[in-house]
Amino acid sequence: MSVSSHTTNTTSATSSRPDNAHSTGVADSGRWSTRRIAMYALFVALAMATSFVEFPIIPGIQWLKYDPSGIVALIAGFAFGPAAAAIVSVLGFVPHLFMDPWGTLMAVLVALFLSVPAAIIYRRNRTRNGAIIGLIVGAVCALAVAIVGNLIVTPIYAHMTVAQVAALIVPALLPFNLLKFVIHGVVTFLIYKPITTLLDK
Amino acid sequence: MNDAADLTGIRYSYDGGVSWALDGVDLTVQAGEYLCLTGTNGSGKSTLARLIAGLAAPDAGDITLLGHHVFSLGTSDGSVASTDSADKNGSATDEDDSPDDATAGSTAESGFGANPAEYRAARRGIGAVFQNPEDQLVTTISEDDVAFGPENLGLDRSSIGSRIDESLNAVDMAAHRFDDPTRMSGGQQQRVAIAGMLAMHPSMLVLDEPTAMLDPAARAEVMRILDDLHAQGTTIVHVTHHDDEVSRATRVVRLEHGRIVADAASSPSAPVVSAGQVPSAISTKQSGHIISTEHRSPVISTERSERRNLPQATTPEDFSTSLRSARNDDDMASGNNTTADDAIVVSHVTYQYPGADILALDDLSLTVKAGEVVAIMGENGAGKSTLARLICALEKPQHGSISVAGIPVATDPSVPADSRTITAENPDGSQSHHIHTRRSPRTLGRKQRETLRRTVGFVMQHPERQLFADTVAEDVAYGPRNQRLSESEVSARVDEAMRLLHIEDLADRSPFSLSGGQQRLAAIAGVIACRPKVLVMDEPTASLDAAATARIHELIRTLRAQGVTVLIITHSFDEAQAVAYRIVMLPANASDRGSSVPSVARAASTSNKFAAQENRGHREHGSSSVAPEQYPSAGPVTQSPSIVPVERSSSVISTERRERSNLSSPDIPTDSVQRDITSTSAHPARAASSFIAKLDPRVKMVAFLAMMFTAFAINTPAQLALGAALVAGIVTASRINPLRLLASVHMFLTMFVVMGALNIFFVRTGTTLAQLGPIPITDDGVTIAILYALRFALVIILGAVMLETTTPTELTDGFGSLLSPLSKLGVHTQEIALVMSLALRFLPTLGAEAKAIADAQAARSGSIETGSPTARLKAMTALCVPMFAGAIRHADNLSLALDARCYEEGVRRTHWHELRIRPADLAFATITVIYIAVLVALPLI
Repeated sequence: MSVSSHTTNTTSATSSRPDNAHSTGVADSGRWSTRRIAMYALFVALAMATSFVEFPIIPGIQWLKYDPSGIVALIAGFAFGPAAAAIVSVLGFVPHLFMDPWGTLMAVLVALFLSVPAAIIYRRNRTRNGAIIGLIVGAVCALAVAIVGNLIVTPIYAHMTVAQVAALIVPALLPFNLLKFVIHGVVTFLIYKPITTLLDK
Repeated sequence: MNDAADLTGIRYSYDGGVSWALDGVDLTVQAGEYLCLTGTNGSGKSTLARLIAGLAAPDAGDITLLGHHVFSLGTSDGSVASTDSADKNGSATDEDDSPDDATAGSTAESGFGANPAEYRAARRGIGAVFQNPEDQLVTTISEDDVAFGPENLGLDRSSIGSRIDESLNAVDMAAHRFDDPTRMSGGQQQRVAIAGMLAMHPSMLVLDEPTAMLDPAARAEVMRILDDLHAQGTTIVHVTHHDDEVSRATRVVRLEHGRIVADAASSPSAPVVSAGQVPSAISTKQSGHIISTEHRSPVISTERSERRNLPQATTPEDFSTSLRSARNDDDMASGNNTTADDAIVVSHVTYQYPGADILALDDLSLTVKAGEVVAIMGENGAGKSTLARLICALEKPQHGSISVAGIPVATDPSVPADSRTITAENPDGSQSHHIHTRRSPRTLGRKQRETLRRTVGFVMQHPERQLFADTVAEDVAYGPRNQRLSESEVSARVDEAMRLLHIEDLADRSPFSLSGGQQRLAAIAGVIACRPKVLVMDEPTASLDAAATARIHELIRTLRAQGVTVLIITHSFDEAQAVAYRIVMLPANASDRGSSVPSVARAASTSNKFAAQENRGHREHGSSSVAPEQYPSAGPVTQSPSIVPVERSSSVISTERRERSNLSSPDIPTDSVQRDITSTSAHPARAASSFIAKLDPRVKMVAFLAMMFTAFAINTPAQLALGAALVAGIVTASRINPLRLLASVHMFLTMFVVMGALNIFFVRTGTTLAQLGPIPITDDGVTIAILYALRFALVIILGAVMLETTTPTELTDGFGSLLSPLSKLGVHTQEIALVMSLALRFLPTLGAEAKAIADAQAARSGSIETGSPTARLKAMTALCVPMFAGAIRHADNLSLALDARCYEEGVRRTHWHELRIRPADLAFATITVIYIAVLVALPLI
């Protein structure tokens, strides 16, 4: 039960106990218990599945697509800590690596800068406020990375200079990413509580 | 020491001693024994099985497994008497590690507690098989899955090979060695799972309801394998509800409320009376009455008396107030035959899943009258779920018409909406003048769709998977709220729905804190609250216990009395008899047409009565192509439900397909033809072991990624030519049909066009070729557009070749191996590689589930595309929470399966697939390096 011991911000105070009383001491306790491996695996699978659900949210800018996988990374980070956020952020995009190498690299970086700071802040302050601050800080970091990343990556795909891309920051990149992180944050905030109930079960 | 397991004074609590799931259990399992554990849900049998398998430790007691003294802790004071162990644990599926406060086992008592070393040793001799076959599979090729356990035991390659051979042979799955088990039927999956255990040479096999998810034919297959294993000397501990399964055991132990209440040698002539979780296990035919145990089930009586009761409307008083102006029962009973009374008309419908080789439904016609309750039966793969989805407008038929409560769900110009009309006008059924207009049927517009959603309720398989809200009441209110009803109306609907399912007391509970059976009832209440005129239920009682099943049957009777049309898909003949006027049998496929009913009869644990009805069904309808329409007049007044075999007019390829695949996403077709083709489509790399496919995955991955990343450096036609030549060479060496490759990248083609267009607009240098408004189109722009699109195409093709020629196992093996140097830095590379491999394994599963959840919420009018931002967020929540819930549920099951296969953090594993750098790999690496060097050098020349 190491997995859920970090997740309780509502029911019980955070227990430092790594496992439950029914542990056999074999593979069902510790940092890489089979349950934790299985949880990470399913969260990564969920991130992969949702990363394929992508749709443009700003009409006309085809390559800026919203995909909900960031929510999975955020939830993983809140539930299991920054390491889980990092694993989900990186592995969740691996299937895309062989389709869109540079874009995938950028997506991984954005996901990392969104979920890992959020997870670190929430780990220190397991309250509603902690979650909100974490989501905001993560969004700001990710926003910066997304814009810098676009400046670098977009010219690789389209014949545009950095200056031309920079001209798109205010009309396209900023509002798109802002909207994206707001959706991420609000949904994460809404669904986290029922999910904790499940993890604690 | 001749005992396989020896347990004394076992106590086990999920809630820190408030209640005891096991309370003072003493049990000795003799080596070579075939022991069945039975008992109601929550009796503690699954917990006990887990203890016997060495997968969990109790709070107190003494356990020796296969001679290993794994646990000893003096019995605690015992002051907390066993009160109620049933509620908390729920169904067996949900009995995972509950939150325990740590106090239960840690108070000062005698004994050493759990001994990890002994547990580890014992576990290596114990195999464990669980209810859900799919969650036990760790990878996507049968032999790799079977190899997983032996790898964890650190066996050398040659022993792993021989163990794969013998294990797959033992379960008759040798022919499927290279197939993808995640695409198999549940029965085949369970056999692969058993093989995965046998490969570890267990002397004891513990099975927790291994057949709960299987249809009767698959169940028989698994049971036969268990008999064989037992005959060969394996100790078997089998948790089951099925009487016929119990009768195979040499000994039966029955639990109630955490205690053993019966322990006796079994004889086939005196089967132990079980609570009969699955209705088919209840022998209604002999006794005429279902034996209800401690559960309150007033509505259960024989199906005959029930049916007679119906026209007199003997439903409980409190239901009479509910639902809309109910249709007149007498009108129904008299068998009114007008078309206006047809609730569901399915006319010549043909459906094929995208990417599937076979038709799910082939020229199917069926009419259900308003107020009728019709049971749809048929083997897995017969298209029952597909039919349900078509009726609910969740799929579009390729051909044929469907109307539901007068709403034209699909209108095929070549097929009249009501086939009876044509029968009347053209008695010979001639449709020749329609054939030239064979195009895709017209489907619903948005308004009509909304009307349909309000009219038709859909209870999908495992509806509990759609629960999402904080409380049961909130969840039930989701559908009515989406219909924009007033709050008072919403709460009236919610109260009524919960009352109908007797779950008023659960209103304020979190749906996720409920037992499996309670969740099912809550989810069904969420559909009922929409007050559907037509209710479609897909196996609503599958894997439910008798009490919950009884409530659902009661609900159907109540709805029936109120005139709601109900279409229920079921595997259980008893269930069909208990609730339906009429049973419609979908044949498995046309080639089985002559024997379709007998094969189902076998599946439904055949009886003479059944066979007689089957004959009658055939006689009555002979070989007429569309029988159901002729039937309704006899429906409601008949003494026993009649069976109407629905025939199909053209043949389909005989196949074995799992039912759930019907719910799969079109993007991830899980249909597969297992019998004829050894999964050429799923794993082309296996079929064609080309030069590229045989490359070491590490070399291949690194080389391909290097080529893909550098392809973006292509800026001149010469470089493009070089890149194209290399890619062409690679495609040739991979022996993939270029057309297939094109198909796999086709979705990128639009992207090329868009990006190309973008480049045309942005490039202003060069000669202007044309003027598009204010934007000049230049020759440079066109050149660059073409260049950029083509270089990106090269990248996509390389990626596709990589993915086509590399199995997920190879990918993750290579991935793990490439990561392994990081382990020196303390990174758990073996675990990360396993996470990756399991994630790829579960990706299609979650994709299919996401689709099912989206459909289920859509059927409750939830939509993220329309409505206010708040409503859309709510809809998003209603999708996300169940998806996470599904992921967590799979993870809980999977972690047990990993335990059973002896995986442990940092365990020294061997590998069935040896990674070895061969000369070919070196050659390929060299070519890659030279190519990149030339690519970089070209512009400099």
